[in-house]
Amino acid sequence: MKLPPVEYEAPTTVAEAVDLLAEHADEASVLAGGQSLIPLLALRLARPELLIDINGIDELSGVSATDGQVAIGAMTREYVAEESETLAGTVPLLAAALPLIGHEAIRSRGTIGGSLAHGDPAAELPAVARALDAEFVVRSQSGERVIPAAQWFEGYLMTSRRPDELLLEARFPAARPGTGTSFQEVARRHGDFAIVGLAASLTLSGGTISDARLAFAGMSDVPVRAAAAEDLLVGESPSAELFEEAARRAADDTDPPADLHGSSDYRKKVAAALVRRGLRAAADNANEGQ
Amino acid sequence: MVNITLRVNGATCTGSPEARKTLADFLRDDLNLTGTHLGCEHGVCGACTVIVDGRAVRSCLMLAVQAAGREVTTIEGLADDGGLGPLQQAMWDAHSFQCGFCTPGMVMQATAFLSDHPEAGEQQVREALSGNICRCTGYQSIIDGVLLAAERNRER
Amino acid sequence: MTAIAAERYTGASIKRSEDPRILTGTGRYVDDIKLPGMLHAAFVRSPLAHARVLSVDVSAARALPGVVAVLTGADLEAMTVPGPDTLMALMGWQGPSPEFTLLATDKVRLVGDPVAVVIAESRYLAEDGCELVEVEYDDLPAVVNAAFALDPSSPPLFANLGDNIARRHSRSESGDVSGTLANADRVIDFHIDVHRHQNVPMEGRGCVASYDADQGVMTFYAATQGVHVSRMAVASRLGLEPGKVHVLAGDIGGSFGLKIGASREELAVAAASRLLGRPVKWVEDRGENLTVSGQAREESFDVRAAISNDGDLLGLDVKMVIDTGSYPGMGVMVPDILQGMLPGPYKLRALGFESTAAITNKAPYVAYRGPWASETFVRERVLNLIAKDLGLDPVEIRLRNFAPRTDPPAMMVTGRPLAGVTSKESLERVAQLVDFPAFRRRQAEARAQGRYLGLGMATFIEAAPGPRSAEPDAALGNESMRLRLTEDGIVELFTGQMPHGQSHQTTLAQIAADEFGVPFEQVRVVVGDSDVVPFGLTGGSRSATMTGGVTLHGARELKAKVLDFAAHLMEVSAQDLLITDGNVWVRGDPASAVAVSEVAQRAASGPFGDDVDAKLEVEATYDGGEGGWSGGTHCAIVEVDVETGIVKVERYVAAEDCGALINPAVVEGQIRGGIAQGIGAVLLERSAYAEDGTFQSATFMDYLMPTACDVPRIEIQHLETVPLDAHVNFRGVGEGGMIVAPPTVVNAIEDALSPFGVRIYEQHLPPARILELIAAADPGQ
Repeated sequence: MKLPPVEYEAPTTVAEAVDLLAEHADEASVLAGGQSLIPLLALRLARPELLIDINGIDELSGVSATDGQVAIGAMTREYVAEESETLAGTVPLLAAALPLIGHEAIRSRGTIGGSLAHGDPAAELPAVARALDAEFVVRSQSGERVIPAAQWFEGYLMTSRRPDELLLEARFPAARPGTGTSFQEVARRHGDFAIVGLAASLTLSGGTISDARLAFAGMSDVPVRAAAAEDLLVGESPSAELFEEAARRAADDTDPPADLHGSSDYRKKVAAALVRRGLRAAADNANEGQ
Repeated sequence: MVNITLRVNGATCTGSPEARKTLADFLRDDLNLTGTHLGCEHGVCGACTVIVDGRAVRSCLMLAVQAAGREVTTIEGLADDGGLGPLQQAMWDAHSFQCGFCTPGMVMQATAFLSDHPEAGEQQVREALSGNICRCTGYQSIIDGVLLAAERNRER
Repeated sequence: MTAIAAERYTGASIKRSEDPRILTGTGRYVDDIKLPGMLHAAFVRSPLAHARVLSVDVSAARALPGVVAVLTGADLEAMTVPGPDTLMALMGWQGPSPEFTLLATDKVRLVGDPVAVVIAESRYLAEDGCELVEVEYDDLPAVVNAAFALDPSSPPLFANLGDNIARRHSRSESGDVSGTLANADRVIDFHIDVHRHQNVPMEGRGCVASYDADQGVMTFYAATQGVHVSRMAVASRLGLEPGKVHVLAGDIGGSFGLKIGASREELAVAAASRLLGRPVKWVEDRGENLTVSGQAREESFDVRAAISNDGDLLGLDVKMVIDTGSYPGMGVMVPDILQGMLPGPYKLRALGFESTAAITNKAPYVAYRGPWASETFVRERVLNLIAKDLGLDPVEIRLRNFAPRTDPPAMMVTGRPLAGVTSKESLERVAQLVDFPAFRRRQAEARAQGRYLGLGMATFIEAAPGPRSAEPDAALGNESMRLRLTEDGIVELFTGQMPHGQSHQTTLAQIAADEFGVPFEQVRVVVGDSDVVPFGLTGGSRSATMTGGVTLHGARELKAKVLDFAAHLMEVSAQDLLITDGNVWVRGDPASAVAVSEVAQRAASGPFGDDVDAKLEVEATYDGGEGGWSGGTHCAIVEVDVETGIVKVERYVAAEDCGALINPAVVEGQIRGGIAQGIGAVLLERSAYAEDGTFQSATFMDYLMPTACDVPRIEIQHLETVPLDAHVNFRGVGEGGMIVAPPTVVNAIEDALSPFGVRIYEQHLPPARILELIAAADPGQ
């Protein structure tokens, strides 16, 4: 399992990286944390001609909160995000998901941008991004685009980032007052990818649900929102019966894959259970906040 | 080939690895530090764990060239003169290991963890080491070694 | 425990002498070896499960800079001698003998089957070279399950066999099988499946082969459970005299039965080294280890149980089908061992047993820690299922059916005496530790809250080495050791044992130190050099008795020799001399003390007269004495999340009897490691194949190993042993944990799910399967 021959560049600025991407486009792979890309190379499943290592681009790291949103530089290490008090205070759903990503050693190197650009539908961060309608800022020689999460994840390990574009940052909206969140996950072992995961957020105002977000990991080739269940919840008061109905609706609307770790039917059952549990936990958190 | 300079176990080292060479292979082959082991080469088993700039990392998931300018500690560098540091001593006392193949990765991961969480209890230690696979011990003796080291550290 | 001269070390958890190097990363595993001019091998492997090989074009690979040689299957046939698998020859296999070439020539028989080997300046370059080898295949239908293999229409994997039967169907009976079935109150039928899973040591297989053309000597650095077995394998395949192969083994990263003899790849590497006149290294990567190194346990059982209405298990009639994979391994020998062990410590009075072994396009069935383990799984499952049918408690049914310990001992219906077995005591000890009534109350309360806890137990015995047998196998029935006192006063033990985690360098030194009378640090255990150690093989959980025993008796013989010489030196009678703490002294006269090292030095500085034996060395052998069983009862408490199928093992208790303990920490480590593998088998591990023979568990993302969050704190209690031998009552524990943990955990899961009416007839219970079982069950049962 040795990596195949590959060319290597290590730009130190965004401009340099963008120029390299313009030149090499889909013959290049961007190397961020390497926790997803290097195994693919070692298994010789990925065969780029060039690795563009962006670990030396300092301007790509950082967490900054402005105007009701938090911008996270693409090269921000997962452990740094995990330790960020800014994030914990403003995007609690993201803070809840981060410790579930692999193991500490993975989070030492893995990056927020890397995980989101890789787009594994069983990973935690894509589900959070989808739940919160995060935005992705990419740059190429033609300029910058801002892509909403709903359009970012296109297919299995496929995002709408063009081969000549570099992901600069992901922007997450700050949680509004009265919001409770929960990240639920069923994995085979501690630290594994989710067989089914759920990023859940409820905003309560005056005892009724004013906003509901439910996004699944592991239920499709991309993270998916349980839109029908969300619609059911908005305007209602939290109750066990309501959550049960939402769970049923959410699971019914899915068409999950089958693999070594679970059948389609299994995933649907687990999805329903996670929605029940996630909604209950989010509602409890929301009440505590008020 | 990319020329790199890095610090390994407190000493400055240079090398010219191919870009594709992992840090794990560079340590083992170019620097003859064979204490770091290869258990899977796809980042799951943790046997290759070393410490880079104070953080535990899987050296099979880093390219050697990415370690340029960094401070790397391997199992060989944990204690002076090939002796035993306090964690190693505690693990010896606790009969932590059997075949020894997972040992370097376990010790390095536990070292990084304990330095950040000196008060950790058993469940935290188990979670912290859950990314390091051991086939021989069933983990209990390893956990006991880490807890013993932590306890002794507090007593000092 | 009788006999140890001074129990200063034996019985204590002496710190391991292996650990200073293990803990500092200065151990020497085979991949750490670097020799001048060393090359690296990588194998071109089949992507198909079953295919004819039409052509192999190595020209592009040979032309790659850094590639030194590329050898095809045909090339290797020309430079090696065909022969049977070494382990099978060692164990005297007489059945069908598949013919095949070292690397695939005319056909490939599993995904990953090696077709060519690339030798290059680095492993990186060798793998690059492999990608340039072009192989043309003609796909054949894949034989991916035993049912198809046993169907005459399945394409034979081995032309000379004409079918896919590795072992002809055979049946034998012990006791009056038909009579017992006919006269029983009830006969119940079960079908039980055990799934394919595998050893997965953290270090894979590997070797460095280095041929010295001038001397005609092959030095073979190995990761092996026995240097002599590897030596024989290399010598016979390469057509070398056995004396011209020197096998060296250092530290080994686990094996669990995998690394015995030499694999096809290792033999190819040895041949390559001889051809090229340079050392060649090959260490398998994790993909190779999971895909081709070997797998085990895929067996199915049709069981008829003859029982009385009161819960006596009177007889069993069992049909076993074992999926032995493609190339020969030990799978064909498993049914015999399994049959012999099926009755366990119970009063079973009749056993009918028949077996068939199927050849399939999967990795070979290799020895995996307790290869016969399914006998315990089947029996302990059947007992619980019968208990359920009759409304009996699992404890009750076992107590009822245990053979009482009598003198002379009760006989297993399959012929072995149940001497010194403490099954009943182990079950009673577990009951004390766990407090079953309290658990049942907690279980009921939890159920009322929608939480499902379960308790399961299982009892086993293990022939580690087993009681004195009438027919010891010639190759395994005796253990040899050479012991000598070196010039500087070190007691040196040369053993054919090859520790790969068993801590022999510590445990054997404990015994020798106590028996001989020197400090622990004054004993050195020498392993891993075929030029200096006697024949031996680490396996079968025999070393505690066999090697512990030969150490004990050998140390006595050496001590007697040393005392005879010292008596001559000190001009006293040997009977008046003692050795304690590294000193020889006259009983009652401490001032007379002479250091053992001084005695040794004097012996080395002869000459002496013909009447003085100054060669302080003995060659000892030991036949196991009275031997004995190991065994015990394990108990697990689990919680099953019935919405997600996730199982948590909340508590695990083991009451075990391995006779006298040499080093309790070592014993407990072995037990816990085996239990972890058993938990892994039930909840996580499966060697999965698709219908076309594609292997689906080729990385650690898919073959899931238990982690520190999956294995609970395991409580172990050691029972008082029933000594059988006047001197040696150490018994083995290497395999027991892995044998009894799977039924323990499965019994607990079934107990947790009993409100749903779930009954379990299989061993692998991942979350999805748990939910399927709940959905399919009938709560009325």
